[in-house]
Amino acid sequence: MTGAVDYRALQRLIDDRPDEGLFRVHRAVFDDPGVFDLEMQRIFAGGWVFLGLSCQAPAPHDFFTTMIGRVPVLVTRDGDGRLHGLVNSCPHKGARVAQLRSGNSRLHVCPYHSWSFDSAGRNKAIKWKSGGCYPQGFAALGQDLPALPAFGDYRGFLFGSLTAAVPPIEDHLGGAARLLDLVADQSADGFELVPGSVTFTYDANWKLQLENCSDAYHFTSAHPSYIRILENRREGGNTDAVKSIWEETDYWTGEYGGSEIQGGSYSFANGHVLNWGRFGITPAHPLFDRHEELLARVGPAQMAWMFNMRNLTIFPNLQIAENASSQLRVIRPIAANRTEMRTWCIAPKGESAPARSHRIRQYEDFFNPSGMATPDDTVAYEACQRGFASRVEPWLQGYMRGTARSAAGGNTLSDAIDMTAQRSVLADAQTCDETLYHSYYREWARRMSAVEGGPA
Amino acid sequence: MSLSLTRAAAEDLLYREALYLDTRRWDEWLALYLPDATFHVPAWRDETSQTQDPETELSLVWYKGRANLEDRVWRARSGLSLASSPLPRVVHLIANVVVEDAQVEAGTGVVGSAFTVHLHDPRAERTHAFFGRYRHVLVEHDGAWRIAAKTVHLLNDVIPTVIDFHSL
Ligand SMILES: [Fe+2]
Repeated sequence: MTGAVDYRALQRLIDDRPDEGLFRVHRAVFDDPGVFDLEMQRIFAGGWVFLGLSCQAPAPHDFFTTMIGRVPVLVTRDGDGRLHGLVNSCPHKGARVAQLRSGNSRLHVCPYHSWSFDSAGRNKAIKWKSGGCYPQGFAALGQDLPALPAFGDYRGFLFGSLTAAVPPIEDHLGGAARLLDLVADQSADGFELVPGSVTFTYDANWKLQLENCSDAYHFTSAHPSYIRILENRREGGNTDAVKSIWEETDYWTGEYGGSEIQGGSYSFANGHVLNWGRFGITPAHPLFDRHEELLARVGPAQMAWMFNMRNLTIFPNLQIAENASSQLRVIRPIAANRTEMRTWCIAPKGESAPARSHRIRQYEDFFNPSGMATPDDTVAYEACQRGFASRVEPWLQGYMRGTARSAAGGNTLSDAIDMTAQRSVLADAQTCDETLYHSYYREWARRMSAVEGGPA
Repeated sequence: MSLSLTRAAAEDLLYREALYLDTRRWDEWLALYLPDATFHVPAWRDETSQTQDPETELSLVWYKGRANLEDRVWRARSGLSLASSPLPRVVHLIANVVVEDAQVEAGTGVVGSAFTVHLHDPRAERTHAFFGRYRHVLVEHDGAWRIAAKTVHLLNDVIPTVIDFHSL
């Protein structure tokens, strides 16, 4: 549909009227295959996308593979320890060169015609080159694996872009970088992925996952079975179970009288958002046994933030959810109505064996597609996707809770960790802000409607 | 008196477990498990190896104690879980049953088997199969075999939206 598209018209799929406080999203944003194709070009091929963690390739010649939208990517550490983000496609015939999700290899040999590349992506051999009677200009074309036009490393969080026209990664992250710091600083030794990853798909649009991570409103509606089981465990019904942090809080009960601040949201430039809840320094948190060390090393404000429930989205495809445990999610859109999620338990290095075990147990019950919470989310996404087919009333109204509480800039809580935000909401237990989604869709509209060839 | 675990006895227990899951006779299913039974569905580390140590590695499911399975049954029946309403229709097929280790004195036995679970989800109008291998540790208890540990080695681990105890 390129060429015939009125890009400016895409902006009209977001009904954004800040003066009136009204914000609506058109259903076509979620189910139109043409919109999806443009998202692949303009969002996934048109800016920074999260690739993975530097700790996924810790040693020389380690590598891992991932995708930017539909494009296979190879992230490899060369013999000098430098990371490279490369397009995982042979310049010869286009075959995907590295097949495995991760490994260690000095040489990546294309499986089709054996062109080979070192761990920096440099072409090392072309089979029977001298006998190949190549034309004179061949060498000048370059036979290395193409580097991603942009590759960024923020404290071990790796990002790549299929276009060079992007700001430095620090500028892209903006104030949200402070929230990655909260992940990175939980241990002086950094962080790691617990061995074992879980992949699942759902038959609905990728932006439903984007929204759900930031959605405080659904918790008591979509997860009553999980909440009831926790209540039962708290009353001693199941003494075999592990303690969940949700048992220690009344964040979701709404019994707090409706006035005390229980959490809220921050919205950042470029589409990043945080939804957070106040949890306190409780023994149910896997960081509890190190809270004194944390206090001494990072100070009271950072420490308090580390114990808060935090659901962070770095637009468009990275989410880190720290609540009952800690999950790193990578969102991979497959079609307008199909999405793949790759998920890991992310954890500070060097934590005690009981804390690690506790973190893993909470993770499995809450986050896994084989657990007791996530399936009730993903099945709800599929119910949404069915409902999106209607155009009788094409506008969705799930973007206006919290409007009257939304303030420009941050607040004292974000100031305490030097975090700048575009907007913020302080919420009681029943506010359940929805204005944080505006950040997603304003960025979406900006990227989707940019004039072709013009500045992004 | 100790029983020696024969293949016939092992098959009988495995087939009954399948029947109870397929027909949603979950109380009878739970009764096959000892109160301190473990239930493990390892995750995959990479293309070729699965996680092994639930204390340091991620599992799809790891439970120590039947009460956790009782929680899962409660949730599936509660009417409070969208993912469980309506429930998928499932049929378990179990084959290649081998008694790998029978300790007559101790009254225990280890049973390996292969499984396929065919599943139809009427909500999503979607049919698929999960497959892999089971490993059961059986213990003689009051003259009958009960499950002390079950490991489900799920081979197709890209999960289509949801997987629950009744589909494993
Ligand atoms: Fe949820």
